[in-house]
Parts: sequence; C-alpha cells; structure tokens
Amino acid sequence: MSTSLATQSLPASLLQPAFTDPVLDAQRSFRAALRALAGPGVAQSLLAMQTPPHLEGLAAASHALCLALLDIDTPLWLAPKFDTQTIRANLTFHCGCPIVSDRQNARFALLDDSQLHDLSGFDLGNDRYPDQSCTLLVQLPSLQGGTQLAWRGPGIESKNHVSLPLQEAFWQERESRNDFPRGIDVFFVAGSELLGLPRSTQVLFKPQPSSLQPSSPQPSTGAV
Amino acid sequence: MNAATPPRLQPQAPRDEAYNFAYLDEQTKRMIRRGLLKAVAIPGYQVPFGGREMPLPYGWGTGGMQLTAAILGAEDVLKVIDQGADDTTNAVSIRRFFARTAGVATTERTPEATIIQTRHRIPETPLHADQIMVYQVPIPEPLRFIEPSETETRTMHALNDYGVMHVKLYEDIATFGHIATAYAYPVTVDERYVMDPSPIPKFDNPKLDMSPALMLFGAGREKRLYAVPPFTRVTSLDFEDHPFEVQKWEHNCAICGSHESFLDELILDDQGTQSFVCSDTDYCAQRVSQGRAAQ
Repeated sequence: MSTSLATQSLPASLLQPAFTDPVLDAQRSFRAALRALAGPGVAQSLLAMQTPPHLEGLAAASHALCLALLDIDTPLWLAPKFDTQTIRANLTFHCGCPIVSDRQNARFALLDDSQLHDLSGFDLGNDRYPDQSCTLLVQLPSLQGGTQLAWRGPGIESKNHVSLPLQEAFWQERESRNDFPRGIDVFFVAGSELLGLPRSTQVLFKPQPSSLQPSSPQPSTGAV
Repeated sequence: MNAATPPRLQPQAPRDEAYNFAYLDEQTKRMIRRGLLKAVAIPGYQVPFGGREMPLPYGWGTGGMQLTAAILGAEDVLKVIDQGADDTTNAVSIRRFFARTAGVATTERTPEATIIQTRHRIPETPLHADQIMVYQVPIPEPLRFIEPSETETRTMHALNDYGVMHVKLYEDIATFGHIATAYAYPVTVDERYVMDPSPIPKFDNPKLDMSPALMLFGAGREKRLYAVPPFTRVTSLDFEDHPFEVQKWEHNCAICGSHESFLDELILDDQGTQSFVCSDTDYCAQRVSQGRAAQ
C-alpha cells in the first residue's frame, strides 16, 4: 500500500471521470474480454459510448479493461511508458489498485510493444493453482500488420488467422514460459479493440514464405 | 402443467433499485469476473473464488446465480431451467430474482436466450455461438468420491494423475457388467483436466463437445468455478471395449412424440402405469406448436 501514498500529493487536476455508468459499462467491458478470451484471435470492439473518457497514454480499451477488472486485490505493474502521473493518479483513484514495481507481485501488467522481448518475472501460477498467474494487457498501435499466424485450440473451431504486429521474440518468450497449465494470458489492445490470447492457444508457425514452394494457397480443410 | 400449455409471457417488471444491478456488489462481481477469465484460459480447471452468501440456501443454485450475476448485462435475455423445465420452483424463483434485481428480459425459448442458467440439463435445441450456459454445480470435484482430501485431489489434477477415475468406471463394469454412472459422468476437457460436467445426465455429455456456446460452471458451497470455452474437445471417459454410451428409450414422449429427447418417467396411478415426457419443456412445447401449425 505504501506505493499509493505518492498519489496523495498529486494535484486533483490530474483526475478524470471514469465510466459514465460504472456498473453496466464495466459489465460490457468484461463481456468483451470474456468473448475475446473465449474466442482467441477474434478482435472485439468496445462501443464509444461505453468506453471511459480519454486518458492520456492509454487506449480506450486498455482504460476500460483496467476500470472493469482492477481493484484493491489486484496489484498492477506498469511498463515505463505507462508509468505517468496521470495514469497512476487515475488508476489508483478509480480502481484503488496498488501499483507495484516488482513484476513478481503483479496480478495484472500493462505493457507496450517495447517490453515484449522480455516477459521474465511475471507470475505464471503454479501447477496446483495455475489461475494465480499474471494477466498481461498489451497495448499495440494496431491489431493487424504483422506476419500471419494460425492459432488453434479451445475457443477456435478449426484455425484463426491472426496477424498481430509482434516480433519473433515475443512468441519465443511466450513459448518458453507456457508450460500448461502454467502460463501467461494476454489481452492485446489497440484503440477500442481487444483480442485475447489465453495460454491454451497453440500458435502454429508456418514455414517461411522465402522457401521455394509458394505458401499462399491456404489448405481449407473444413474438417472439425 | 407442462408443454401442452403455451409458455406464458413474462411481464417485464421494472428493476428494484434497492439492490445493486443483479444483486451482487461490484467488487464481488470483479472478483468472479477475474476468476471466469482464468477459468476460460485453463479449460476444465477449478478456480477457487470468494463465494458470497446469497438470499437462498446452498443447493438451490447459489454458485450458478453468482456467475449469472457477474456476467449479466442489461441487454441480456435470461432463461433458467431446472431439470429441463422452465416452470419448476427453482427455475421460476431464480428467473424472478434476476428480473427483479437486474430488470432483464426473461424467456422460456432456448434460441432467444443469451444466458441460460441450468440445473442439470442442456437444452435439446442446439445452442448458438452468442449464448452462455451457466451450470449449477453441487460438487465440482470429480475425484471427490475417491479422494476426500482437497490437497490430494489438487495434486492429482496438477500431476495429471487420473488413473483412479478409470478404476471407478472399471468397478462399475466388474459389478454391473456396464458403466452404471448415469449422471455427472466425468469428462476430459481438451485432453488435460478431468471435469465434473455437473449432474447432467450422460445423455447430455456429447452436447458439451465442440459446442459453439461458452459453458460456465459455478459451485456456491464449494466456492469453485470452471469453464469450457466454445469449440473445445470434451470427451467422456471410457474404455476401448466399453465405449461411452448415452441412455436410450423404447418410448416416445407422450406429449410431442419425440424419440430423440431425454425423457422423464411419470407414474400415473397406483397400479404403476407409466408415461414418458420430454424433460426439456421448451423443446416439447415447440414441437407441439409446430405439429399444430402443420395440421
């Protein structure tokens, strides 16, 4: 709790209003998050009328997820990009969440794409209680534009093709830390859209298109 | 009393403002919501949660109600069934509870519902992708009847050590010649966690496999919740020489004539005259009204 003492000296002018309807807007944001995690790779949009007013540095969906999911029970770790006075003041005021400097103690973490090459330190849960792992909220400029990968697993009927703008290093980090049932669950966020990547999803790395055979025709196996 | 009568229209009563939306306070909802997200990420794993006291006793669906309260929104259409029926005490009172505390629309029609809270049945009408099933679970731990210690069962789940489940089924075969477990039939979710599908008849187990709807399970007394995401492989435990089988009936439903649905047996008189009717009242009523329309 000592971390929140710093906010007491912050000027009240930093504070902004949160959800217009704290009960139903939080519920709508949660349902979008639930849909995102139950259907990995399919982007979910939050309507403008249900997202909170703009908070400097946070995408609308990141802000909405924070307000919907964080409270006094969820220590939050902020990447340096998000560790601003405004974000600290507003999240500690509206959510009451402790902000921690140690990744190991965080139940939620807010990251930008500069952090994704190193996911060390986040709690992966343990074999008895894999649910105690940290949930990552990763804010990206866009949910498209990267290499297309096929995702497979629970929540996906056959395959979902997702082209998140992520470096190879992120997938290696995820691979090395996913030891099901232990692992990391991620929400990718851009603007008012969010996309879920639970630990149960397998990401298939297709052979690079630089090889001789053209890799464009998709094997459209409809078999489920 | 049953499917022969058309479903009554539920008058939309205004929300009782004395309660928070859907009864539970916001911090409790957030705690359950975070648990639900983890449950979806780890299909079949039982997430402990801080179960709250609800205004009805354990065993009447407090676990399911807490999950419903945590996910319910103003736009949702709620259906509640008890052993397949929309018009039994438990179903009626839970539906009225949420109509009063959340002001949501309620329905008896399966395709119209966005959230279906159920006690021990999965509707016969196929579910669709925008629906969420909420199951009321008495005992969430499938290993409990074999191993009473929570510490031990948690270790068994952690180590993927499920050999004893097959011993239990084998004992059935040794005693009765077939697997006699007829409800709460254990399943494996996505080839990892063994899960109790709640006391649904094993007739309903195949409906869990690759269902387009999200399945959420809540146990109020035991304070556990778990989930099966859509399109997840759910296999019932069995043996090569004793494959999993569902119940079959020689009878048809006395009301709608269905031969495909799960039938309840009724005893009509002191001589033991039997009759069989669909346990899913909405399915039965729809078939009756379709039959009338066709005439």
